[in-house]
Amino acid sequence: MRIAIRHQLSVTPPAGTANAVLQLLLTPQGGPTQSIESWSVEMAGIGNAGRFIDAYGNIAHLVNQSRPEGELVVTVKGVIETTDRHGVLGRIGGEPVPALYRRVTPLTKAPVALYGKYRNAKETRLDILHGLMARVGEALGVDAPGQSQMQADGGQSQGQGGVAKPLPPASDYAHSFVGGARALDIPARYVTGYLMGAEGGVAAFHAWAEAFDDGLGWIGFDPRLQICPTDRHVRLAAGLDGLSTQPLRLVPAEDGVRELEVSVAAA
Amino acid sequence: MMLGRTAQNLFWLSRYVERAENMARLLEVGYRMSLTSRREGGSSEHLMSMMQAAEVDEAFAAKHKTADVDTVAHFMMFDPDNSSSVYSCLLAARTNARSVRTAITTDMWESMNGAWLEYSQIKPRDVRGAKLLGLLQWVKQRSHEFRGALLGTILRDDGFAFLQAGNFVERADNTARILDMKYYVLLPRATLVGGELDIQQWTLILRAASAHRSYRHVYHDRYKAQNIADFLILRPEMPRSLNFCAQFVQQNLDLLADFYGRKQECQEAASQLLAMVEDTSMEKIFSHGLHEFLTEFIARNNRVTDALSESYNFY
Amino acid sequence: MAETAPFDEMYNADGSVREPYRALNAWLEEQPDKALTLMQSDAEAIFRKLGITFAVYGSEEGTEKVIPFDVIPRIIAAQEWRKLSKGIEQRVKALNAFLYDIYHRQEILKAGRIPEKLILQNAAFAPEMMGLEPAKGVYAHIIGVDIVRVGPDEYYVLEDNLRTPSGVSYMLEDREAMMQLAPDLFHRCKVAPVETYPENLRRTLESVAPAGAGQSPNIAVLTPGIYNSAYFEHSFLADQMGAQLCEGPDLFVDGGKVYMRTTTGPERVDVIYRRIDDDYLDPLTFRPDSMLGVPGLFNAYRAGNVTLVNAPGTGIADDKAVYTYVPEIVEFYLGEKALLSNVPTYNCTDEEQRNWVLANIADLVVKEVHGSGGYGMMVGPTSTKAMHAEFRRKIEARPDNYIVQPTLALSTCPTYVNAGVAPRHVDLRPYVLVGDRVRITPGGLTRVALKKGSLVVNSSQGGGTKDTWVLED
Repeated sequence: MRIAIRHQLSVTPPAGTANAVLQLLLTPQGGPTQSIESWSVEMAGIGNAGRFIDAYGNIAHLVNQSRPEGELVVTVKGVIETTDRHGVLGRIGGEPVPALYRRVTPLTKAPVALYGKYRNAKETRLDILHGLMARVGEALGVDAPGQSQMQADGGQSQGQGGVAKPLPPASDYAHSFVGGARALDIPARYVTGYLMGAEGGVAAFHAWAEAFDDGLGWIGFDPRLQICPTDRHVRLAAGLDGLSTQPLRLVPAEDGVRELEVSVAAA
Repeated sequence: MMLGRTAQNLFWLSRYVERAENMARLLEVGYRMSLTSRREGGSSEHLMSMMQAAEVDEAFAAKHKTADVDTVAHFMMFDPDNSSSVYSCLLAARTNARSVRTAITTDMWESMNGAWLEYSQIKPRDVRGAKLLGLLQWVKQRSHEFRGALLGTILRDDGFAFLQAGNFVERADNTARILDMKYYVLLPRATLVGGELDIQQWTLILRAASAHRSYRHVYHDRYKAQNIADFLILRPEMPRSLNFCAQFVQQNLDLLADFYGRKQECQEAASQLLAMVEDTSMEKIFSHGLHEFLTEFIARNNRVTDALSESYNFY
Repeated sequence: MAETAPFDEMYNADGSVREPYRALNAWLEEQPDKALTLMQSDAEAIFRKLGITFAVYGSEEGTEKVIPFDVIPRIIAAQEWRKLSKGIEQRVKALNAFLYDIYHRQEILKAGRIPEKLILQNAAFAPEMMGLEPAKGVYAHIIGVDIVRVGPDEYYVLEDNLRTPSGVSYMLEDREAMMQLAPDLFHRCKVAPVETYPENLRRTLESVAPAGAGQSPNIAVLTPGIYNSAYFEHSFLADQMGAQLCEGPDLFVDGGKVYMRTTTGPERVDVIYRRIDDDYLDPLTFRPDSMLGVPGLFNAYRAGNVTLVNAPGTGIADDKAVYTYVPEIVEFYLGEKALLSNVPTYNCTDEEQRNWVLANIADLVVKEVHGSGGYGMMVGPTSTKAMHAEFRRKIEARPDNYIVQPTLALSTCPTYVNAGVAPRHVDLRPYVLVGDRVRITPGGLTRVALKKGSLVVNSSQGGGTKDTWVLED
């Protein structure tokens, strides 16, 4: 599928900042599930940015702005051609060894209730991972049938029969899944990207997970949607958790990142 | 190559050493005058006006009700809450020196470090009466020793210029403040003969600038308001006069311009400072207004520090 | 081991003087009464005047102390040193190979030679370093190896220091002071020089500059500032090397490159000898609240525009739990047996070993896995029953947080104390530089426990230093 993306974020350095330094993880790479037709990152100072590959194999930018005034706006846009491979990415060159993704971080500590029943499971790793994805869905909640209107922050509004509590953001699902897999000694990583909503659905900046199988390599799992990533998922960056994959990081920072706009549509 | 912070530390190192010396001078004056005061409450008034010149009177009043010699001496010498106390100045000077140890000579460091180590060992309650004068003398001597080590050992490069600029900016500020505090007794008046009170005030001013003896050498005359003002403002041979300080500030900033091959805003600021005390006369200054003149001088002197910070990337 | 008399480096059991100490012994006997007392007070004056001080943590802010210096040098014979330095060189090569491996393919983990969890779940492991190619493949450029001697030919490595080992300035100043205090003694002994250290440090740093830095790379020493306990050393080394001494705010990143703010504008920096811990190095990558570091510095490093010395993440190789695997590491990467032994170490997570440790704690040394500087440590034979009980409880609560070793009978050296000259326990920290090649300064820093019978040599715990002489043939 050909998908056009436009994403705009902003951060505001504290008044009087002498030098604002930003790290961007907003550049997708081509791979088995996607090829990049065009991509651009625009912001003041990007022309002078340092470009490097981070520890997890992502393309990163190091941007600085001396004496910034007001908010700094980043606009990314591009066109990506995606392929549905039922979530299977396989092995990708230049990535760190999968074992790295067994490291537990503060954000990826999962309760035993989530993964305990698979500790001595006889099933294949693939079956265990699908089971784990279902467990995460049970624990955090899933969309009622016919309701899949995600909001940009991963939450959801349910219209039927009064106002229900919104579901947690997609990042919670991804962290739970990753934490559960790691507790079972399965390498798992956190993935950021874009999700094109189903018909009528709202586009979003999204998060899901990937786990490693010795036979198939890396396989994607989207526990928020309870599916393996499809050609509606555009993969942006991967890492240990949501912290190491933040799309935009700023020092010195006062407030968080503001999402100004995200649109993901068939091109 | 010199870090902007290093330049800043050098500049302030010198300023704080000079300030420590000036505080000791002022306290000495206040102390002497309080001893000779014959009026009821006169002693306290002298001490307060001395602290006014040091610009610590408000900080003092916030902490203490009455100004007696012991309380004031302790406040001026040892109180870490008083950012201009000799203690605070020496600590700040030594802290700056520590940050730039590689940019100053061993002799300078040892002089500074030695002064601080000795001073920090002194127990304030042991310093009373005659011991106070001895300690004030010691502070001045350590300042002279540091200056001697500086002049005798350091390379005449950018570091030297920053150090010297700090020294003379601080001294200019000090002299201008002493004058401004007492400017009204320096105004030419109908009566040519000063009263008892005036003479006392004039002595205070001259002593604070270590100028009471050299005054005689220059003027061969009794104290006169106009002469005193002239001596401390315009006389180029008087090493604490505004003219002298402004010349040194300009010279050292020019040295920087030569060294770096480029004039910047701070050189212009120094010229504007010097312009106030060059090719002028006391008559002109009086007709303009002495207080207005001094206020403007202090502002231009501050502008030199600001421009220097801008030009050479202090923080 | 605690029962036997410690090895005396100067005297044989029969009271005769060991060969390397003969000249020193003769010199000591010639000294008139009070000469050593005078030397000792001269030494103190020299150090205080130079401002060679360290800040004491936990004491009143701004307190500075002079590390006690002992005027009697410690002497190592040429052949003893050759053996030691071969062992040290082997060890630092292996540790660097280990670091390269665990931040790349992790073959040693795949081979099962070290438990994967011990590395990957370790707080000292820096995932941010994965895949980074450091110049010349070196991670730990400046290493201090703590060695103790227990017999004529028996040395143990107590620990490796691969983060930012300190103390090298004391090694240099001790020599300087000793030359001032006892020039005549130098005439009698052929002592290998240590004064080459700053030049060797500079060469080492230049050799790992990023490609494109040019013939004379710009070097900066990055210090947390004047309130750091080792600030004196930072400024001393910068001065001796002719490098700029910078604090975090003196440096900034622009366009992925690192610059320092000078009086004439930005100046490019190629190599940073940083004396700031990993966590505080770059608020953009590590602790966001750090005020000491330089935002973007780590990414500039990843982009290959600057070299950080030592690399972040080297702490995984001197972790106390990883320490026990160093002989394994040497064999795995170099295919050789380790020349220097480790101190036997008990693993408290193993129930059998733990029970033995709990029963024998009064004879053992307990160290916190992440402690340093002698803190979080207990020496059984010199501790009270209450402390034994306290550490028993601690070990039972968190067995993985402690390593336990036998109390080693550290060798003793003659030391000047109030009562005259008496033996005191010593250790040795040689300093190693790794760049285009390995450079080891002959000798190192000898730390001495000034309290009679004490085995804790840390300066924060009442230890002093001695000049260390390696004799030349």
